[in-house]
Amino acid sequence: MNYHILQKDNLNCFIKSLAKQMKVYAPVAKGYNNFAFEEVTEAEQISMDYIPTILPPKKYFMPPREKMLDFDLNGGKPQDKAVLEAEKLAVFAVHTCDLAGIQCLNMVFSERPRDYNYLLRKENIVIIGLECNKYCDGNASCALVGNHYPNGGYDLFFTDIGDKWIIHVNTQKGEELVEGMGLGKASVADMTALGKVREAKKEAFGNEIGVEPKKLTEVFAKGMDSKVWHDVGSRCVSCGNCTNVCPTCYCFDMTDSINLDMKTGSRNRTWDSCQFETFATVAGGENFREERAHRQRHRYYRKFKYPLDKFNRAFCTGCGRCTRTCMAKINLKDTLKALAAESK
Amino acid sequence: MTEIHNSNWKLRKGQIIAAKQMTATEKWFDIKLEDGDLDHEPGQFVQVELYGVGEAPISVCSSPTKRGSFELTVRSAGRLTKHMHSLGKGDWLGIRGPFGKPFPVKLMTGNDLLFVAGGLGIAPLRSLINYVMDNRREFGKVDILLGCKTPTDMLFGDEIKLWQKRMDVNFSCTVDRSAPDWKGNVGLITSLIPGVTINPEKTFGVVVGPPIMYKFVIAELLKKNLPEKQIVLSLERHMKCGMGKCGHCQIDHPKNYYCCKDGPTFTYEEVKDSKKL
Amino acid sequence: MKTAKKDTKAPAKAPKAAAKPKVAFFDFASCEGCQLQMTNLGELLLDILGAVDVVEFREAISEKWDKDYDVVFIEGSIGDHHAEERLKKIRARAKVLIAYGACACTGGVNGMKNGFELDEIRQSVYGKDYKLFDSTPTRAIDQVVKVDYYINGCPVYPPEIIEVVKHALRGLPYTVPDNPVCSECKLNENVCMYERGVACLGPWTKAGCNSWCVNNGNICYGCRGEVKNPAKNAAKDVISKYNLKPELITKKFEMYNKCKEGAK
Repeated sequence: MNYHILQKDNLNCFIKSLAKQMKVYAPVAKGYNNFAFEEVTEAEQISMDYIPTILPPKKYFMPPREKMLDFDLNGGKPQDKAVLEAEKLAVFAVHTCDLAGIQCLNMVFSERPRDYNYLLRKENIVIIGLECNKYCDGNASCALVGNHYPNGGYDLFFTDIGDKWIIHVNTQKGEELVEGMGLGKASVADMTALGKVREAKKEAFGNEIGVEPKKLTEVFAKGMDSKVWHDVGSRCVSCGNCTNVCPTCYCFDMTDSINLDMKTGSRNRTWDSCQFETFATVAGGENFREERAHRQRHRYYRKFKYPLDKFNRAFCTGCGRCTRTCMAKINLKDTLKALAAESK
Repeated sequence: MTEIHNSNWKLRKGQIIAAKQMTATEKWFDIKLEDGDLDHEPGQFVQVELYGVGEAPISVCSSPTKRGSFELTVRSAGRLTKHMHSLGKGDWLGIRGPFGKPFPVKLMTGNDLLFVAGGLGIAPLRSLINYVMDNRREFGKVDILLGCKTPTDMLFGDEIKLWQKRMDVNFSCTVDRSAPDWKGNVGLITSLIPGVTINPEKTFGVVVGPPIMYKFVIAELLKKNLPEKQIVLSLERHMKCGMGKCGHCQIDHPKNYYCCKDGPTFTYEEVKDSKKL
Repeated sequence: MKTAKKDTKAPAKAPKAAAKPKVAFFDFASCEGCQLQMTNLGELLLDILGAVDVVEFREAISEKWDKDYDVVFIEGSIGDHHAEERLKKIRARAKVLIAYGACACTGGVNGMKNGFELDEIRQSVYGKDYKLFDSTPTRAIDQVVKVDYYINGCPVYPPEIIEVVKHALRGLPYTVPDNPVCSECKLNENVCMYERGVACLGPWTKAGCNSWCVNNGNICYGCRGEVKNPAKNAAKDVISKYNLKPELITKKFEMYNKCKEGAK
């Protein structure tokens, strides 16, 4: 095991040194207890104590709008070129829920046929995690899905052990970074302190809905026709907030855009949402998920049922963003509890 | 900006070598790819890129036994297909694919076949029917039932006349609404099924049509004791990526099917628990 | 996408460009601010002028045109019989008509007039001789003539102008986004106005403006019109979640959405 130490006073040196090598993005306070990953150049811009950001770091892995193809219609036959616009960057202070989110997306986009835009962009990103020693707020359900502890998915991982950060080095890339900055190795005492933090978390965190994950799988297996969906659907605004902020939602649309010369243009990928009215509509007009209830059900099944069958893991990371952002008070924990109560 | 040479978003270039308006709303295109055959299987679809307008999923209506080019029949239904109708011979398109799970041709070998097509459903089904015609001795009895709204909505009329003449195929069709010179059946397609003799042990029923049709046709086939796993459908959804990722074509079914990858062809046994067919 | 059809002998230089589409701008009851947005496009305006011929634009040029128009931009709503006749005449001469700005697309702020008895409002505006002044309830352009394209907003959002122009020049339909403004606002990572304790019309208003107002610290006033299928019940939940009075929302809605019927 490879652990290094960064004194809290030296965080600024760490950030500045990192920022010399690549762009650094970290949680920044936006007011009203809202945070967002934004570019930083020094430590004081960063909120190390933050609740999950408005958008998860997926925005760096799969940008809301991304060019996939350039085309040129000058001349008889159209010409086109598949392109990638990506810069080298680091995402700093990523909570374990969001690390899990990135892992989920990695699974999706490396499944054949592969999405090289995603996969190549990912290679350009250094991921630096940050442990939550306590709950961010009451909307989180990370313990339910086991994401309150780190489960890989990072190059470096920071844990607060008092006046210093203990840094787990997970990759060669991470090792080169800490070596380059001359960070010292963790001592036995530091390791003991880390152990204490982890031990304390056993008390601080616990299954947030009182339903075992295994049981939840059964609940979803027979919950397709539950009235819970109608209750949720009757409130839904169809604004797509829940899917936009979800670390594991990746549905997208493809659109063409042409320049005013009417000869050159591009094909672009944009985030889409299964909550939008026309998401499952076909050209003839048939809408296969016309009801808000069915669209909400679909969202939940894409977190707690479908990915379990396909990837053997829940695609809910427990970050709580969908609950925080919902205009109409649709609460993930309450929905799960209601569903479980109904199936008893 | 880097070029991604192995991107799955790259387009093959296809040129329209022939086009024909078939009905008021359907147009037929024959397309030649510059890099060789499409190499598809019956029941698959392609993504057609109309540069600067967007991409539309269209099922291939020609059999892979036809070489050199492939055919599409496009109904002017949305923005893209409407634009596609303005294209003709000589125009270029971008093509991705073929995509999707084809009809289970291998499983069907040696069995009787009952084709049931409603409306535009004849387009994807034609890729299989023509394949079967070209490999006729591999299959048992072949029945084709075709239904459309009115006689003028009938697609592939010339070809249908040939099917009618063939002695190795039983063909019947019906229209919802008759016309003065129409001498055939009038009524829903379900009315043709009781008249067909089916050996449930060795028959595949292949049904393609609008969503509303499936329920009634399948009920008729089940009445004939055709096992669920021998009823094959091709479902319609809006496939935007063709790679099982974008989410648009996902079916409300406990098994989480992506229509573009796990389908569009399914056995009834596979999809009977879907909220909508 | 057409290939050169076997005229390989043609000279290498570009063929004479086809005549550029003739474009005209007209205004009805409005502040003319949306036309001003056109002149504010900066460099993009030069690109547009490269693609079209502007033949009438009272706010920018003095020329007039007496033939047919390929594309007309109509700003403003219709509030009297004279305007109605004039609009119909323009429509008859125009191949493509674009309703330009909130007043044209939904009636805009002029729709507030429809919340009063017509004579009552005429009297308060024109005094005792009000009967001499023609006036009708406010109508959006599509309540009078056929509209081919809509560019919503008060004022119109410049990138959307360009998008619609490109669609119109290619004869492709343009679909106004029908998702709430929130869908774009969230991507801009704005702190939700409701979290600041302010009622905002984003959850019910059509997107397409890239949450322009909220990005600049303002609420959404609903200028692009209501989405086709607004969540009626949800309004209760939104309001109760943030401890706001329902009137705050309904009153705000009346500013731009009073002329409802024509909302597109």
